[in-house]
Amino acid sequence: MKEAFVSLVTALADDELIIGHRHSEWTGFAPHIEEDVAFSSIAQDEIGHASAFYSLIAEATDTTPDRMALGREPGDYRHAVLCERPNRDWSYSLVRHWLYDTADDVRLEALQESAHAGLAALATKIRREERYHLLHANAWIKRVSEGPVEGRTRLIDALGRCYLEALALFDSLELEDSILENDLLPCSSSELRSRFAKRATSELDDFGLPADIHRDLDDSAEFLASSSGDLIASDQGAPTTSSRSGIGGRAGEHSDDFKPLWDEMTSTHRQHPDAQW
Amino acid sequence: MEVYEIFRRSGHKSPFEHCGAVIAPDPEMALLLGKECFLRRREGEHLWVVRRSDIHALEDESVLEIAADKSYRFASDYRDVVGKREAARRRVASMSSGGAS
Amino acid sequence: MSYERKLDEFNRRVETGSKVEAADWMPDDYRRGVLKFIEMHANSEIMGALPERECLPKAPTLKRKMSLAAKIQDEIGHAQLLYRVAEDLGKSRTAMYEDLLAGKSKFHNVFHYPVHHWGDVAVIGWLIDGAALVTQAALLDSSYAPYTRVLKRICSEEQLHLRHGEHITLQLASGTDYQREMFQDALNRWWLPIIHFFGPRSNVAKDLLLRWKVKTRTNEDLRQEFLDRYVPKVTELGFSFPTPVPRPEGNSWVVADEDIDWAPLDAIKKNQGPETERRLGLRRAVYDSHRWVREALSEPAVHAA
Repeated sequence: MKEAFVSLVTALADDELIIGHRHSEWTGFAPHIEEDVAFSSIAQDEIGHASAFYSLIAEATDTTPDRMALGREPGDYRHAVLCERPNRDWSYSLVRHWLYDTADDVRLEALQESAHAGLAALATKIRREERYHLLHANAWIKRVSEGPVEGRTRLIDALGRCYLEALALFDSLELEDSILENDLLPCSSSELRSRFAKRATSELDDFGLPADIHRDLDDSAEFLASSSGDLIASDQGAPTTSSRSGIGGRAGEHSDDFKPLWDEMTSTHRQHPDAQW
Repeated sequence: MEVYEIFRRSGHKSPFEHCGAVIAPDPEMALLLGKECFLRRREGEHLWVVRRSDIHALEDESVLEIAADKSYRFASDYRDVVGKREAARRRVASMSSGGAS
Repeated sequence: MSYERKLDEFNRRVETGSKVEAADWMPDDYRRGVLKFIEMHANSEIMGALPERECLPKAPTLKRKMSLAAKIQDEIGHAQLLYRVAEDLGKSRTAMYEDLLAGKSKFHNVFHYPVHHWGDVAVIGWLIDGAALVTQAALLDSSYAPYTRVLKRICSEEQLHLRHGEHITLQLASGTDYQREMFQDALNRWWLPIIHFFGPRSNVAKDLLLRWKVKTRTNEDLRQEFLDRYVPKVTELGFSFPTPVPRPEGNSWVVADEDIDWAPLDAIKKNQGPETERRLGLRRAVYDSHRWVREALSEPAVHAA
C-alpha cells in the first residue's frame, strides 16, 4: 500500500513542481506587467502544492521534500511530458495552463474522495486555491479566442501541440492496480481521462475553438516526442496491449526537454546535497 | 485597455480603501489582475475595481476650505461641558439646602 | 497669473515643504525631471528582475524557490506601481517601455551585471536591496506626493526583501567553506557596482532634483549611511572587501574617492554594461513576438463564440 501511495503522490508532486518551474520562467517577461505578477503567483502556488505532496511522501518514507524535489535522477521523476515542455510563446503557455489546470481540477475532484485521509484533505485544500487558476486561464482563453485572428490562430496551433500530451496526464500510473485496490484513487486514470476529454471538448466548444484538433486518443498508435517537441506518429504496426499511450512520463520516460531542465533545477542542490540553504 | 482603480476592504470595521490601479482590458481582467497585484498578501477580503474614467474629482478643491466659523461641527466646541456639569451640580446642591438661587 | 509668478509661487511652496500632486500646476522642468527620475526607477525594477530570475531555476530548496519567486514578483509589482505614477505625469507606459528597449532611457547600474551562482542571490538580496532601501527611504520625503505614496509600499516590501537576503546570507556564512566562498566570490564581484550605485558626488548647485526636493539627500550622504550600516555587518561575518576597501574613520567607514574606478559606470551610462545588450535583447525579442497579445488585450471582441 505504501508503494502504491508513493507512486501516486510522486506523480502528482512532480507534475506540480515541473509545471510550476516552467511557469516561473515567465517572471520578468510576461507580455503585460500586471499579468507578470499574477502568473508568478500561479507558479508559486504550483510549487507550494508540490511541496505539500512531497511532505506527504516524506511522512510515509525516509526522505525530505527537498530531496524528493531536487535530489533524484531524471529517470526517477514521474511527471507527464506536458509539464516539461519549454514555454515557447505566451499562446503555448496559456493553452498548457488551461489544459493542465482543467485536468488538475478533474483529478483533484476525484482525489477528494481518496481513502487516504491526508491526501483527501490536501486535495480539498489545493482545489480551493486552483479556483483562481481556472478563473485566470478561462479569462485569457476567452479574451484571446474572441480577439484578433492572429491570437486565435496561435491558440489553435498550441492546442494542436498540447492536447494529446494533456490527455497523457492520465496515462496509467505505476502500480495503478494497487492504487485502485487501496482506493487511493476512487476511479481509474482511464476513467479520469474520459472525464477530462469530455469536459475539455465541451469547454473548448464554448470558446468557439474548433473541435477537430482534439482527436480521440487511438490506443494503438505510438506517439514519439521528438526533440523539437513535435509529436510524430511512429510507424509501429501492431497495437500494444498496454493501455498507456507511450507518450511517457508516468514510467519515468521523458523527452529531450527534461534533462536540461533537470540539470539547471537541481544544480545548486546537487553540488551540496547535505548543505543548509 | 484602461486604467482601473482598485479598492479593497478588510473585515467590517473600515470602508473600502483605494490601494492602486491596474491597466486592464475589461472589469473581469481588472479583478483578476488586481487581486494578485494588491491582495496577494490578503490585505483585504473584498475587492472593487472602477474605471478611472468613471471617477470624478472636484475641479476647484478650494471649495473644501472652511472659511466662516463652523466650530459647532466639532467636539472641541463642547469642551466646556465639564464646567457646565459642575455648575449644574452646584445648582442642585443649593436646591436641597433650601436656598433659592 | 503669469508663468513667472506661477513659477515663483511653486518654488516657494516646494521650499517650505509643500507637496506636489499630479493635477497641480508645475514647471516643465519639474515635470520632466520627476518623470525621468521615476521612469528610471521603474525601469530599474523591471530590469532588476532579470539577474535574479536567472538564479531562480537553480534555487537549492523548495522554500527558496518560492520565496525568491515572490521577491522577484514584488520587483515587477514595484515597476507596475512606478510606471503608473510616471504615466500620470504625461508619458504612456508603452512609450516608456519602448524607450527602455531602444536604449533611450536608463536603469540602475547594478542590473547590468551577470550572476553566477547562489552567492549572488545573497549579495543582491542583502547588500543591493540594502542600498536601494537607503535611497528609497530618503525619497519618502520627496516633494512629489504620488511618488511618496507608492514608495511607502515599495519600502515596506524592500524591508522584507532585505530580511530575506540577510537570511540567505547568514545561512551561507554559517555553512560549509564552499558556501562561505560562494558569498565571498559574489561580494568580490559586486562590491564596486554597489559603490557605483549611489553615483558620484552630487553637484548640489546644479542638481534640479535636489533643488526641488524630489531628492532630499546627496549621493555621498546616502552612500555613507550605507557604508556605516553594512560594513560592520559584513566584517562581523568574517568576509573581506575588494577595492575600494572601506577604512574606519571614527565611528564611520569611509571609501576613498581615489580608490573608486568610475570607468565601468561610465560604460553603463552608455548602456554598454556586461549584460546590457543581452538582457535588453531578450526583452526586445519577447516584446516584438508578442504584439498579438497587446492587440488581443486592446481591441474589443472581434467575434463572440
